[in-house]
Amino acid sequence: MVDVEPERNNKQKRILRQWLFNPFQFIAGSGALLLGLIVMLASAFLGSLSNTHFDGVLDVHSGTTAPLWFFLTEVLIDWLCISIVLLIAALFVSRSSFRVVDVFGTQALARAPYLISALALLPEGSIRFTNYLVSKITQQVPAEAIKSTDILFFAAGIIVVVLMIIWMVVLMYRAYAISCNVKGGKAVSSFIAGLIIAEMLSKLAIWQLALRTGLLPS
Amino acid sequence: MKNLPSICPACQSQLKIKELLCEKCSTEIGGLFELPPLARLSVEDQEFILQFVKCSGSLKEMARLQKLSYPTVRNQLDNVIEQIKVLEDQKQDI
Repeated sequence: MVDVEPERNNKQKRILRQWLFNPFQFIAGSGALLLGLIVMLASAFLGSLSNTHFDGVLDVHSGTTAPLWFFLTEVLIDWLCISIVLLIAALFVSRSSFRVVDVFGTQALARAPYLISALALLPEGSIRFTNYLVSKITQQVPAEAIKSTDILFFAAGIIVVVLMIIWMVVLMYRAYAISCNVKGGKAVSSFIAGLIIAEMLSKLAIWQLALRTGLLPS
Repeated sequence: MKNLPSICPACQSQLKIKELLCEKCSTEIGGLFELPPLARLSVEDQEFILQFVKCSGSLKEMARLQKLSYPTVRNQLDNVIEQIKVLEDQKQDI
């Protein structure tokens, strides 16, 4: 008799791996767009509780106080910048036809790891240590004293954020490759170029927004 | 019945048909016949085409049945089209 248990376990592991690193094999289009938007806005809301800004396609920064709408706008700018740039890149690189909703939807869902980043920076100890660092950098007197365990929460949060950024880049690449049907060297090089351009555009747009709305001194 | 092999297991070249047999009257026909392009595709690709036709060419329906996303199924179709084009080009070159 053939033992089917190990085979079933292997299949389950493979499916779990695919859901973690390439969910776009199973979900794309409007479903991914809706889920991605919910996750993105939730990340921005949680980020606002700990003053964590997703102020660029690949950026996570803590410290500056801002109204909730600014946090929400930041994540939308990040998503629009990377989606539009990769859409334009695919027009040159891809030989297949593709749907705009797949590009925007999969890129929205690819930003899901930021939800975990926002959660990781939420503990009070991490917020206290961030505020302490900001007051040191701006040469102000810290509003409250830090506890000895705060640095541990902060360090754990930073490690999670770095891992989540790596995971997000993998997801963004998979989203681009599947939604636009691009493969090999062309896919990698156009994705890297697109990511650099989108990062610059998003930083510029968020900086301009902060300047024009008076959140940054001109 | 076994699946029809299209690639030589020894040298990976394209196989051809040398003999055909009528199961009813045992008539045998010898010669050298080309496999049609669809028969030269892999078994998975042939199954994909069958499914595609059964779904009336609807990629959305195929994606729903296979529990895959629309672009994944569309990419599979693009790969099959690419392979058929290569096979047609090979035929024209001969």
